[in-house]
Amino acid sequence: MKLPKIRELLEAVKALVVGPYTSRFPRKPHVPFKSFRGQPQFNEDFCVGCLACEEVCPAGAIGHNDAVSGGKAVRTIYHYTDTCIFCGECEAACIADHKGIKLSTEWDLAFFDRNRAFESIDRDLVTCERCGAVVAARRHLQWITDRLGELAFSSPTLYQTKLKELGLIDDNPAAVHRENARSDRLKTLCAHCRRQTTAGA
Amino acid sequence: MKKTIIPIGPYHPLQEEPEYFTLTVDGETVVDIDAEIGYNHRGIEKLSELKNFDQSTFVIERICGICSTSHPYAYVRALEDIAGVEVPPRARYIRTIIAEGERLHSHLLWLGLAGHFLGYNTVYMWAWKLREEILDVMEIVSGNRNNYAMFRPGGVRRDINPDDIPIVLKKIKKIVPTLTMLHKAVRDDPVLHARTKGIGVLTKEESINFSALGPTSRASGVARDVRKDTVYGAYHEMDWKMIVTENGDVFDKVVVRMLEMLETIKILQYCFTHLPAGPIDSGLKGIPAGEGIGTHEAPRGETFHYVRSDGTNRPVRHKVRAPTFMNLPTYKATVKGSQLADAVIILAAIDPCYCCTERMAIRDPGGKRLFDGRELVALSQRKSKLVQEQLGIRELPLDALGQVAP
Repeated sequence: MKLPKIRELLEAVKALVVGPYTSRFPRKPHVPFKSFRGQPQFNEDFCVGCLACEEVCPAGAIGHNDAVSGGKAVRTIYHYTDTCIFCGECEAACIADHKGIKLSTEWDLAFFDRNRAFESIDRDLVTCERCGAVVAARRHLQWITDRLGELAFSSPTLYQTKLKELGLIDDNPAAVHRENARSDRLKTLCAHCRRQTTAGA
Repeated sequence: MKKTIIPIGPYHPLQEEPEYFTLTVDGETVVDIDAEIGYNHRGIEKLSELKNFDQSTFVIERICGICSTSHPYAYVRALEDIAGVEVPPRARYIRTIIAEGERLHSHLLWLGLAGHFLGYNTVYMWAWKLREEILDVMEIVSGNRNNYAMFRPGGVRRDINPDDIPIVLKKIKKIVPTLTMLHKAVRDDPVLHARTKGIGVLTKEESINFSALGPTSRASGVARDVRKDTVYGAYHEMDWKMIVTENGDVFDKVVVRMLEMLETIKILQYCFTHLPAGPIDSGLKGIPAGEGIGTHEAPRGETFHYVRSDGTNRPVRHKVRAPTFMNLPTYKATVKGSQLADAVIILAAIDPCYCCTERMAIRDPGGKRLFDGRELVALSQRKSKLVQEQLGIRELPLDALGQVAP
């Protein structure tokens, strides 16, 4: 009976010297490990507004709303903290070098009002010059143009977005002559209108 | 002979799935037990069929909070069975690391709770303190203490940073001395022997008849372990022992788990030091039509997943069988004839989840409440004190040190 006593006494003394495993949390701030998967955060500089993250999110924690008003179209992408499972699929699927949305080490996510448990990012949208429908986020089109190189010049929607960004052309270069005219094909168009102007004119 | 029927449930806590036990007792002796399950139906299988193959791993992960990687492991193995892909070596090692880390923390959690039921609150505290080390390891490796989100069909999602490996190995090494001490302490503690030896015996024959799995069957002398029986992960590339004992009582179930933890540490150390270089994903694109099965040795036994695909990006059918489903009926053999005070530890011996104990209640046939969960545990702890007095030991050897209020 004596030996086990000593063995366990040693452990108890060790526990006394080492102290508790828990940290003195409220007084000492908790620093998570570098690899900790915390709150995903949008990055204003990199996000192109392509919605790849919304597509892959297994929990449906990412949503978006496209608002067109007064000639200005804005896409707001939401990330809901209360639904998020911090799996990191959004970051893995992000087309902007995995930087548009990135998991942070932010773990202190308690909130009182569930309706406010989200963060959002606004992206400008490009709309169809004929029907006003949403084509894509402006930066997404630019991203595609950059990837395609000279091939982008096969699509007026792509190269005009790029040229407008460079300040080389005005907002509406081709004047309207008549409905579904061939000249319309040089405009920034949604997929539906492009089919109509190409096949229907 | 007057018999009392004691219902425990429906949110019976000692198990993964809430269930309902009806204990029929004659005085102090349990003469019959009946179990009902199905109170926690969440429609996981259907949910999995509504998400695509990549997304459903996250749903599957949430079947159980403790063995949160066993289910995805079995699931992705079923998908790889359909697709017939070879998983890259580095991914196999990372999978093994995650699976074994989970086994280690699950067994430590169980050890702590078993100690708590028997009145050894120091074991409870020490085991859970050890568990923090392995949970930290898991956080460093995967980014979370639980729900690791590491598995994907054909590989793993995240790589292990080589800079983290020395820190992780140091943390794992720290577990060994305390675990060995606890193992020795359990082996030669007279009160523990009196409380667990010959209690809740599951014989080899009964174990085979009930198709018991995992440590429950290995404690009864049935050498059955998916890690040895099939070739998967990195298990066949290293040397480790399958722990099998003969008696099948609660004590043997404790010993099997204690020794298994030391084997798990060996596997973890080997995997971290021999991590092969290379890709972590086989780039599996789409699952062809067909059906496949996947198994994995979870901490509680073999997890079994069946998936049928019709060539689209969602499973047509997904069937899950958790190990507890097979281990639960062994109560028929183990609890009958035991004392009510022993029932708690026997019910706990197959490694159940204890998160909702407080909702357990014992009632007499008139509906009067006799015991709740806290009182049942107290009953078990009182018996330990009684045994200790009978043995003439002044206090529980382990618990005399650093007594922590329950």
